[in-house]
Amino acid sequence: MTLLTEPDNRTAAPRARSVRSRNFALTVPALVLLVVFFILPVVSLLLRSVMEPEPGLDNYRALLGSTTYLKIFLNTFSVSALVTIVTLAIGFPVAWALAIMPSRWASIVFAVLLLSMWTNLLTRTYAWMVLLQRTGVINKTLMGLGLISEPLPLVNNLVGVTIGMTYIMLPFIILPLYGVIRKIDPAILQAAALCGATRRQALTRILIPLAAPGMVSGALMVFVMSLGYFVTPALLGGTANMMLAELIAQFVQSLVNWGMGGAAALVLLIVTLTLYAVQLRLFGTARMEGR
Amino acid sequence: MLLNFDRLGAWKWILLGITGLTTAFLILPIIFIAALSFGSSQWLIFPPPSWTLKWYAAFFADPRWLEAAWTSLRIAAIVTVLSVLIGLVASFGLVRGRFIGKEALRALFLTPMILPVVVLAVALYAFFLRVGLNGTFTGFVIAHLVVALPFSILSITNALEGFDKSIEDAAVLCGASPLEAKLRITLPSISHGLFSAAVFSFLTSWDEVVLAIFMASPTLQTLPVKIWATLRQDLTPAIAAASTLLIIVTIALMLLTALVRKGLKS
Repeated sequence: MTLLTEPDNRTAAPRARSVRSRNFALTVPALVLLVVFFILPVVSLLLRSVMEPEPGLDNYRALLGSTTYLKIFLNTFSVSALVTIVTLAIGFPVAWALAIMPSRWASIVFAVLLLSMWTNLLTRTYAWMVLLQRTGVINKTLMGLGLISEPLPLVNNLVGVTIGMTYIMLPFIILPLYGVIRKIDPAILQAAALCGATRRQALTRILIPLAAPGMVSGALMVFVMSLGYFVTPALLGGTANMMLAELIAQFVQSLVNWGMGGAAALVLLIVTLTLYAVQLRLFGTARMEGR
Repeated sequence: MLLNFDRLGAWKWILLGITGLTTAFLILPIIFIAALSFGSSQWLIFPPPSWTLKWYAAFFADPRWLEAAWTSLRIAAIVTVLSVLIGLVASFGLVRGRFIGKEALRALFLTPMILPVVVLAVALYAFFLRVGLNGTFTGFVIAHLVVALPFSILSITNALEGFDKSIEDAAVLCGASPLEAKLRITLPSISHGLFSAAVFSFLTSWDEVVLAIFMASPTLQTLPVKIWATLRQDLTPAIAAASTLLIIVTIALMLLTALVRKGLKS
């Protein structure tokens, strides 16, 4: 008996080790895919920014030294900031209402949020291009009501981009904020009322501070996603307010200037990853999606 | 008080008003496009002067639209299968494994989700140009797989972490082989995670625009690329018809998800 069990005991230890290494092996297909088709291409693109046309920082000097490009950086930040503020201003009351309204009504709003999120991005952008054009429904209605006499320029400018981006980003702020407000104990607000707080005081001193982490986290997410957005600004924005993602695409596709394209990509990457790190630091988790 | 719907007073109506307007803001453009796709006006006049199916007829008569839709469907199907398979295997490694750098690896697997897609698109475009994958079917599948995989890994690791491994061990003790126990006990238990991984992977590929714009060639393009290229020329109602078909696919997937969730719960 002992002779038979002993070899078994001896093989048990190495076997446990081989199970561990096999478990690592399970991640290898995914790892190889990401190293070959994600990390290496991105790193080599960034390397080209300091190698082409000749080694050095010339691309960065050109990018950061020109007012044209600085204007694009500034525009990217201001459009993203504007979209973040608007979505937060609309998203907070909606998330608040969702957290307390009867569940029958709330489920309708959720269904609409999901439908809008899941609808193809180009479809949604196309809808706004049609709605906002000179002869579109919005201009026709405003003129029919006698509010304006000339069609308003609503596309190919800041107004168009802001409306289109707000439309896309709203669910991304409403859903997490709903979760945060849902977790607040209503008894805290009842206590405030019992202690004589008015509604306004309860809102500004209790509800908003308690919801603040969700607001900051949602706002950061929307801001970061907006910074790197390509499709909607390209279709609803004008040449006068080009954004960074479009600039990168233009360097590569129209100008075939890989050095400058890589440099602009690095700038976008650094800003995105920095803000992502802030998000992780503050809230532990972050889920984002950029298109 | 502020979190009690019936005791909000006048504020209740303000909140409901904002929520109602926002809901309308989110749903109306989608309904609007669906309505316009049946309108007869080339210039997308609303309400349409009369109703017609001619834009759908044009869509189905044009081999370029159909081919693009077929390409999209094939790419999305292959990406879904690969993403769930690779994601499933990797998730087992991430959840069950004990090796150095596991958490770093998990973070790495999710980075394609946070990186601006345009950066990945440009980088992959450069790489594919060198290795001759640009404009190929394989190139499309690889590009979409990179962005779909994080969703798959996220869904499946979540499901796997919620599964009690001792049930699988019990099956092995009762005489099942480890593989059999995984196939017959563990996989059915995490099927909700596998299902969301499949849905997210499919939608990620099916709707993906930015990577596809860079990967596309004159002979190979997906439906979003075809819509993009058409949009840049004019706003023809043919796009409204294509868009409405996409919306129908979306609604079908949403209903399927709801049904499967219900079925899994009961």
